[in-house]
Amino acid sequence: MQLSQALQMVWGNTPEDDAKITEVFALLREKYQKYQDPWGFNLELCEKTLRTLLPVYRRYFKVRIFGQENVTDNSFIIVSNHTGQVPLDAMLITIAFAIDIQPPRILRAMVERFMAQLPFIGDLAAQTGSILGDRANCQYLLENKESILVFPEGVRGISKNTTQFYRTQNFSQGFYRIALQNRTPILPIAVVGAEEMFPFVWHVKSLAKIFKVPALPLSINAFPLPSPIDIHIGKPIEVPEDLSPEAPDKDIKEQVLKIEGQVKKLLAVGLKHRRPFFDEIRKPLSKLILKQERDER
Amino acid sequence: MSAEKKKVLIIGMAGGLARITSRLLLSEHPNWEILGVDSRSLHDIPPLKGLETLSMKYSRGNFENLFRAHKFDAVLHLGRISHSSNDADILAKRLELSVMGTNRILDLCLRSGVGKVVILSTFHVYGALADNSIFLTEDAPLKASIKHPELRDVVEMDQLCGHFMWKRQSELSTVVLRPCNIIGTQIQNAMSRFLNNPMALRPMDYNPFFQFIHEFDMAQVLCNSITKIPTGTYNVAGSEFIALREALDLVGSKGFPFPIVLAKGMNDILKVFKIEVPEYLLDYLKFSCLIDNRNLRQHLGDDFLRFGIRETLELIRLR
Repeated sequence: MQLSQALQMVWGNTPEDDAKITEVFALLREKYQKYQDPWGFNLELCEKTLRTLLPVYRRYFKVRIFGQENVTDNSFIIVSNHTGQVPLDAMLITIAFAIDIQPPRILRAMVERFMAQLPFIGDLAAQTGSILGDRANCQYLLENKESILVFPEGVRGISKNTTQFYRTQNFSQGFYRIALQNRTPILPIAVVGAEEMFPFVWHVKSLAKIFKVPALPLSINAFPLPSPIDIHIGKPIEVPEDLSPEAPDKDIKEQVLKIEGQVKKLLAVGLKHRRPFFDEIRKPLSKLILKQERDER
Repeated sequence: MSAEKKKVLIIGMAGGLARITSRLLLSEHPNWEILGVDSRSLHDIPPLKGLETLSMKYSRGNFENLFRAHKFDAVLHLGRISHSSNDADILAKRLELSVMGTNRILDLCLRSGVGKVVILSTFHVYGALADNSIFLTEDAPLKASIKHPELRDVVEMDQLCGHFMWKRQSELSTVVLRPCNIIGTQIQNAMSRFLNNPMALRPMDYNPFFQFIHEFDMAQVLCNSITKIPTGTYNVAGSEFIALREALDLVGSKGFPFPIVLAKGMNDILKVFKIEVPEYLLDYLKFSCLIDNRNLRQHLGDDFLRFGIRETLELIRLR
């Protein structure tokens, strides 16, 4: 067996996946030839990146998707819990929506300002579909029938310590005002498994301050552990017709809490049905979570 | 072509844009008269029927005499000093001319019954920032001078005109134009020089988007601003945009790839020899600053430009 064949077996895509990527990108090319993306979204680069990362998605993280029947051919604001110090959850959700969920689409992930200004990385993120999380940007994308991926927990989501795993941090409200402005339905999502990629987290706030980054969570492992990932997709949530985008914070908060509740429900179901790869860690963790929830009540 | 007679004053006549605009105005309105003034020499402007030129020092007295001697119907103020220099003396002069000078010109326009005044500002007033929204509208905050105080003359002049515009709208129609990068064979601004420099830096780490407008199209917008555009502030750009690296390819630039993240350090060394690049321009090589043209399209139509962005860049290459 030649080395290239061996590598292909370990790292390459199956012929079915290769054919699927080709088919999906033919469809996407048709869609994107109609307008020019002002952030530099590069479909060719996306295809290459996807061909490289699909084996990681399939074989390393063994991603499963539940609830794909809830996704219709609409523009959505996709709201997910944010997990893992390195936001690999965004990458896995994006691959899922490009390859395994019909109709295929490239999600436009909202990123923090600090990310957009990083040399090389900012450009690469823009070319693979990420954009600065800004209202005008979202408005432009939704008008062009794109779907947006939002993590309303922001950096708080990825800088949690171990005891806070799978506990959603307070959702910010900006995404809901954007949804109201465009009357775009919200698709809640829960990612289960990504927290365990980096099991112990120490948030070095002082270093984050020195490097002028919003968060600097550190873990004992530099490379993500092969935690099996489940993506649970909930039913789309329509925004109320009678609520204005300029409504007071308390009215928006009420709606945002409902969405956060949906994500929590999906997480609970996901944690119940997850694969036992990290069973030894999960059990004490689940006990801890249950105890904390009891205490809160 | 209108039979109505009008007298137009163009301030900043020595510039390439003013020259093209005057020719266009006279071809569209042969009955009009144009007086072009500049503090620079105007001897190389070819004679043209209807065009009179005057080289004079920009001073309050000279402008007052000018407005007393002529009854202008419209004034095109294209006389802002280029902001592509960091020199402290030039900055002081820029503040004096762009802010104080513009204020005096607007006051004279008001007192002498000018019907329309058009001021050429720039999209640089918005600033190139990492958190810029896509397609900045005219209502976007002018943030250029927050990071680069040396741009305060540009921002202050724009704000002064905006303030004047609404306060005096019943007496005088004022139009402020904020064009994107104007490029062409007769334009000598920083962007034209950058694109025409065969050794221009080619950013490796950033690839922002740019909008370009051909000098001829910009001159056409200036002509139309006298007759077709009502009081207001307008971004001037086409609907197309292009990534910097593609633009450099189109103009045939052979510059070497360079990480812009290191450019500031290199610029500090160049400062010693006084050949540095203005720092605000480095920001434009990092972050996009795209402007929204919907307001202008309402008055000039969707296809108000003759040259597309690629055609505009290819015309530069043909030089």
